Amino acid sequence: MTERAKQGSLLHGRVDWLTIGIALVLTALGWVNLYAAVYDGAGAAFDFGSRYGMQLVWIGVSLAMSLVVMLVDDKYYHILAFPLYIGVLAVMVLTLFVSPEIKGARAWLVLGPVSIQPAEFMKFAASLALARTMSVFGFSLGRLRDFLRVAAILALPIAVMFLQHDVGSAVVYGSFLFMLYREGLNRWIYIVSGIVMTLFFGSFWITDTGLLMLIIAGCTVGAGLTFRSWQGPLVFLASVAFASVAAWLGFVFIGGMDWRYYHILLVTAGASLPVVMALAYARRLRGFGVFIALFIASVAFVSVTDVVFDSLDTHQQKRILDTLGIESDARGWGYNVNQSKIAIGSGGFTGKGWLEGTQTKFNFVPEQSTDFIFCTVGEEWGFVGTVVVLALFCVLIMRLVAMGERAQEPFSRIYCYCVAGVFLLHVLINVGMTIGLVPVIGIPLPFFSYGGSSFLAFTLLLVVAVRLDLGSGDLSQTRL
Amino acid sequence: MERSFVRRRILIVFVIAVFVTLAARLFVIQIVDDSYKEMASNNALRHEVVYPPRGEVLDRNGEYIIQSREAYDLMVVPRDVISGFDTLLLCRLVDVTLPMMRTRLERASAFSPRRPSVVVPGLGKEVKVLLDELKVPGFYTVYRTVRSYPRKIAGNLLGYVNEVNESDMSADDYYRSGDQIGRSGIEQAYEPYLRGEKGVRINMVDVGGVVKGSWQEGRFDTLPVAGRTLTSSLDAGLQAFAEELLAGKVGSVVAIEPATGEILVMASGPTYDPDELVGRERNNNYARLINDNRRPMFNRAVMAQYPPGSTFKMVNGLIGLQEGVLQPNNRYECHSGYTIGRGVKCHVHGSPLDLRHAIMTSCNAYFCYVLRNVMDEPEHGGIKTGGYDSWADHVRSFGFGRKLGSDFTAEYPGNVYGSDYYSKVYRGSWNSLTVISLSIGQGELGCSPLQMANLAATIANRGHYFIPHVIKSIEGVEMDPKFREPHHTDIDPEHFDPIVEGMYMAAHEDGGTVRAMGYVPGLEICGKTGTAQNAHRDHSVFVGFAPRNDPKIAICVYVENAGFGSSAAVPIGSLVMERYLTDSITRPHMVEYVKNLNISYPHYDLL
Repeated sequence: MTERAKQGSLLHGRVDWLTIGIALVLTALGWVNLYAAVYDGAGAAFDFGSRYGMQLVWIGVSLAMSLVVMLVDDKYYHILAFPLYIGVLAVMVLTLFVSPEIKGARAWLVLGPVSIQPAEFMKFAASLALARTMSVFGFSLGRLRDFLRVAAILALPIAVMFLQHDVGSAVVYGSFLFMLYREGLNRWIYIVSGIVMTLFFGSFWITDTGLLMLIIAGCTVGAGLTFRSWQGPLVFLASVAFASVAAWLGFVFIGGMDWRYYHILLVTAGASLPVVMALAYARRLRGFGVFIALFIASVAFVSVTDVVFDSLDTHQQKRILDTLGIESDARGWGYNVNQSKIAIGSGGFTGKGWLEGTQTKFNFVPEQSTDFIFCTVGEEWGFVGTVVVLALFCVLIMRLVAMGERAQEPFSRIYCYCVAGVFLLHVLINVGMTIGLVPVIGIPLPFFSYGGSSFLAFTLLLVVAVRLDLGSGDLSQTRL
Repeated sequence: MERSFVRRRILIVFVIAVFVTLAARLFVIQIVDDSYKEMASNNALRHEVVYPPRGEVLDRNGEYIIQSREAYDLMVVPRDVISGFDTLLLCRLVDVTLPMMRTRLERASAFSPRRPSVVVPGLGKEVKVLLDELKVPGFYTVYRTVRSYPRKIAGNLLGYVNEVNESDMSADDYYRSGDQIGRSGIEQAYEPYLRGEKGVRINMVDVGGVVKGSWQEGRFDTLPVAGRTLTSSLDAGLQAFAEELLAGKVGSVVAIEPATGEILVMASGPTYDPDELVGRERNNNYARLINDNRRPMFNRAVMAQYPPGSTFKMVNGLIGLQEGVLQPNNRYECHSGYTIGRGVKCHVHGSPLDLRHAIMTSCNAYFCYVLRNVMDEPEHGGIKTGGYDSWADHVRSFGFGRKLGSDFTAEYPGNVYGSDYYSKVYRGSWNSLTVISLSIGQGELGCSPLQMANLAATIANRGHYFIPHVIKSIEGVEMDPKFREPHHTDIDPEHFDPIVEGMYMAAHEDGGTVRAMGYVPGLEICGKTGTAQNAHRDHSVFVGFAPRNDPKIAICVYVENAGFGSSAAVPIGSLVMERYLTDSITRPHMVEYVKNLNISYPHYDLL
């Protein structure tokens, strides 16, 4: 240690000061903003018992902790990865039994005056555990055993969170898909998820007939692209269109059956499948079955979506419908999002000025110091403020990606990508929900939302990435 | 390596896409879409109207006749009301019953959940202080002024104020629900000056509707501008005296300063205390007044239509002189009346008489000759081809048969018909004998007391008048110049001398109709009685002015169904003029006499 200190690694090494600087700027902006969110117009004196006072304490704790993190040798993060993961998981399970119910979730560990949300630290522990598992020599996501290990590391905390009724925190684990893509997870998983998402939203946005046409066209174009032939697909589309329209007209004029065009088209397309398959087989088009399967799966999925949607709770249905812009109820459950949009939208280009935001100051926006903290940014600093904050987050994530890419060992790279993904998802969902782009999921905005656990956890995630980045640069000289 | 490079690129593009999407959406809601700004204002800003004090009115001697008193309205914004507040306590504070409070709150909700409505108007300051301390969410008090009428006189003339209705609001953008508007008299005619200008205070409210302070340090607030002070030409003391004399009678007294057209007195009997239409009891009082058979809210001075009776003889005499068909010394005989045609009866007096004496004794026959000579004058070629209409034009030049254009919104024009009217009614077959009643101011003539007072002023001025008006100046504003322009009748001034002399003689010489009840030594009253026939007992009428030269006051008195002009109208008219000119009463017995006059009004009271 002393020798390393003498080499001045902290000062002369490749500490990524830009990342630290951005984090500090975000922290400062976040605190100033939190002060404004708590401020209610009365010129009260500074109060350490208030939320901004408490947050200042957490900022201090986090700074101290960051110093410790920077001083700890990076090898300990390898060593501590699994024990930490298991330890946090154990605390989460413990929380499940001892936590009081807060807003329907049992996610809080109350220790005297402070409440801790162990799930926040699980992001950090899971990132380390994933990095540790996936950096083992010879690890491949393509191998089922390795894949299942990763799945298990993610599934365990998710399962506990579901038991805690803390769905918001569970959603965050989707962020590891970011890192997994970089590490080579099969792209079909992403493609299929993309198609599923498209079909899911499509089933709300457009009519079933339109969606069916889209599916047929999509599969045909896909096949055309794959086999670089356009004659067959065009002939096929023309035939299906002609046959279905003819059948529909026949039913309309001759009568006898009250089928809608949707059903006729479905039957026509279904009937064409054996013919198309036979032709493909004759032309020896390998892999053609994928498109047949895609068609059948898509139609099945769309049909099932309705059933699934009907099985959801009313408030979940409404949240989905509101996010899709299909239904809106500004007085009832949609109140939060509506007020949030009003606050941000009323900020205009330059905002109303610090402490001048009427919507946040006078409590029109609910949860304004935690989940809806971004409203204060939008209202008081306007478009300029929101874009600056988003730009800082964007640069921060880009730095994490860059740090990961320059790492000489997979552990650091995987960890940095995990952190980048976690930050990206938090910003996307938190900011997205305040402006009605994403359903309301209660997760914090890093460095802005009030809360000691999340602030500490985000600091930890980031500073360890910086520490690993530094350590990887010094490996050749300091490894004893 | 190659593959991970592509994936890295895809991830970076994805990150950028996420941020661009968020920024684009922010761009739309923060910059493109303005509706959020409006919604934010609706949320957090409450526009509170600051009412100006309504303008006050002084009489000609600087005495207040209309004042504004500080009061407060309890307002409610139904959206901000939190259920479960202590309704009973609130009701007790503002002295309203619980069911009444409930219906008012429901009405306010029905009007608008977001806009403020008046719940209880006209609360005192001490109640306001208590309410402000109580701070019930959704309720607040606003400053208002409430009218008070310190002299308690001239109810119909001063008018009253009440809350605007739908049609007021659609007629004038200035008015919002809960505003006050002048309803009659001065309050209505001078509404634009009296109301002032409302101010706006923009307050910020929190989600619970509690006021959190002024928005933008009050940069967009506007201060109310107080209503202007008006000075009336009315003499409050004289008005009160006239109302005292009219008490118990139906009729009116209108007095004008001839040199200016300023109205000194405008009493209408029965009258009411204008303070009765202010405050809690206003609705009950209003109902009582409007249902009173004697119609106290009907301003007889400008709205009643009376036959002028014998007071109209001066007009006919003047027209005769102007047309050249009459010389002051022409004498006509009276055989207890005019005996041609249906005939017109007359009372006992000397005969034959000249014009001065005919005025003095009010000879009916004399003016029958005059009227026929005017209408049948050969140069017009006949009564139907201009004889009648030239007479009617002369009459209209005195201000009869049309609105004078005074500052009363409810002035009635009266009627003076054209020849076509008679041709229609008598199917073309009529002559000067058909309309002979016009000679003594009966028949198809309708005049308001204001028009008759204006006649008195016109004769006092020897041929011109100023449009009668009750407001002589408005603080900071030029009065309408129309009130300063003399309006000349089409009678040459020299013709007025014999008429004035006749009126002087009526009040000063034995046998004069005015002398017995209206002679006051030293006042030089010139007057003319009238006994206007109508469906019921005759109206007692007096028209006069004083002094003879450079007259200071012209007056008209109508007392309905009081009989001869000298029995009620002359005493009242002479007393009012004496009081105005000398500030004293030399005939207290006459005051007693007038007050004790007992006139019955079966057609009003037995309805």
